[in-house]
Amino acid sequence: MDLPRRKRHVGRWLLAAAVVLACVAFAIMWRPAITPQTATPSFDQARIDRGANLARLGMCASCHTPDLAKPFAGGKPMETPFGTVHSTNITPDNDTGIGRWSLEAFTRSMRKGVSRDGHLLYPAFPYNHYTRMTQADIDDLYAYFMTRPAIHAPARDNDMIFPFGFRPLVAFWNVLYLDDSAWQPDPKQSAEWNRGAYLADAVAHCAACHTPRTMLGGPDLSRPLDGGEAEDWYAPALNARSPSPLPWTRQQLHTYLRTGIAEDHAAAGGPMQDVVMHLSQADERDVAALSAWTHSHLAQAPARATPAQQAGSLPTPKADDPDLQRMQTGYALYANACARCHDAGRGVGSGAALPLQKAVALYDPDPRSLIHLVDEGIAPPDGEPGRWMPGYRTILTGEQTGALAAYLRKYGAGQPAWPDLDDAVRKARAP
Amino acid sequence: MTTYRLQVNGKQHAVDTDPDTPLLYVLRNDLELSGAKFGCGLGQCGSCTVLVDDQPAMSCLVPVSSVGRRAVRTVEGLGTGDKPGVLQQAFIDEQAAQCGYCIAGMIVQATALLERTPRPTDAQIRAHMSPNLCRCGTHMRILRAVRRAADVLAKQPAGAKR
Repeated sequence: MDLPRRKRHVGRWLLAAAVVLACVAFAIMWRPAITPQTATPSFDQARIDRGANLARLGMCASCHTPDLAKPFAGGKPMETPFGTVHSTNITPDNDTGIGRWSLEAFTRSMRKGVSRDGHLLYPAFPYNHYTRMTQADIDDLYAYFMTRPAIHAPARDNDMIFPFGFRPLVAFWNVLYLDDSAWQPDPKQSAEWNRGAYLADAVAHCAACHTPRTMLGGPDLSRPLDGGEAEDWYAPALNARSPSPLPWTRQQLHTYLRTGIAEDHAAAGGPMQDVVMHLSQADERDVAALSAWTHSHLAQAPARATPAQQAGSLPTPKADDPDLQRMQTGYALYANACARCHDAGRGVGSGAALPLQKAVALYDPDPRSLIHLVDEGIAPPDGEPGRWMPGYRTILTGEQTGALAAYLRKYGAGQPAWPDLDDAVRKARAP
Repeated sequence: MTTYRLQVNGKQHAVDTDPDTPLLYVLRNDLELSGAKFGCGLGQCGSCTVLVDDQPAMSCLVPVSSVGRRAVRTVEGLGTGDKPGVLQQAFIDEQAAQCGYCIAGMIVQATALLERTPRPTDAQIRAHMSPNLCRCGTHMRILRAVRRAADVLAKQPAGAKR
């Protein structure tokens, strides 16, 4: 084609720009493989023990051990807005695990989210937190994992929504959300607080669930600890926006993180049960530090007058309630099912339950956690002892669950109705 | 007192009782179906398990007023002494009962599993049966009985009655 000189110029510039862009994109997206190691180094026991504690604080098994018979062999499906990601095998198996990963390769995966062979890992693996671990801690974790029994378990295929199956796209997520600068202590705070802050950020990755996420699946850094979600449960805000009707004490928080039960507050349900199970096995001093840090944020929540300060059973609906029929249905279910354990004069613990005016789930900004609690109850993780509450999914119809939640919200917590309650019940019950 | 119409094991019943009466009491006292047992009254043990619209439910926690038109099935609906159902026969064959108090709930709970998942894995059986407790400690036999029933059903021609 015989283009005018001017147009040919523009064409050349566009071509040059495209080449430059392609080079930049390639540089952002491409990472080299790291040579496989042929022999596993040996580790002293103190390092392995420290690594074991870090693995508990980081709750690695929560995703990497879906089958207790195969510790760290991976395979747990995780639903994300971008598709289903499966956790990988992090045992030292040479062919399907990380047996051939050198410390350099392990460190790069923890800090940059890059697999040994150079492919980018999905941020369901919270390397945007682990990136701020000290090198000594990464070394110890490496020692722990490289001394676990090797298990042959090939990775399961992910099921991503187009175009997220193309892993190099994660590089652009990393440009936005991967801040790999070193973790900085706050000199104004105590050593214990700083230990807790480090563990919460770099290891336990609390913000992965308790900070809301953006459309792109990254943490919304303008709203730290403002409340997020985990497996469709609401993960409560841990700052001034905490929905808790009563102020937490540091001791209650410590007991909660160690046992899953906090007097006057909650029994851990849903994904938090797994967190508690791991923290119960970690070094108690580290859990105390986590409690100190978390409590300093929770303590920002202003004191509020709520029904939680009052003892006694929940009231009957008012005769002039505009939604009287539904509230009466909810009350009947509360009185005849819930109140048997949750009525006045009981505490939270084995064989007893929290008076519902104190239950945090009633005060959440959305009804998801309450619906999950009513539908699924509380069952301890597989093979673990723990709290038990029967699930009502097979006992109550969706309409009844909705009526119960509406009643509890209004007459238990004294809060305005959840506008999305019926949708949330439908969604929770969708097959 | 209110009159409630209940469908239990395929039959219609009319029961006069208070709205907050647990379904378990109605089954045992009014309808004289004493298979489902009162264990803890708190939904913690599963001995009162019945099926409500094919779903396992702890009948001690179900107010009779909330049942509505949903169909209730109890262990009595699964077979008789002369003609036990497949699960009932499997529990006999494995001698899964010690004192027997939990067994009706166990059989009903297992019925719900096999109706939806005819070929369960051992892990699925364990997970599904986990709400039901046996204080005598025959859990291993109970799990074997459920496995046996699943195997028997798998050999039956499609559509055969459970």
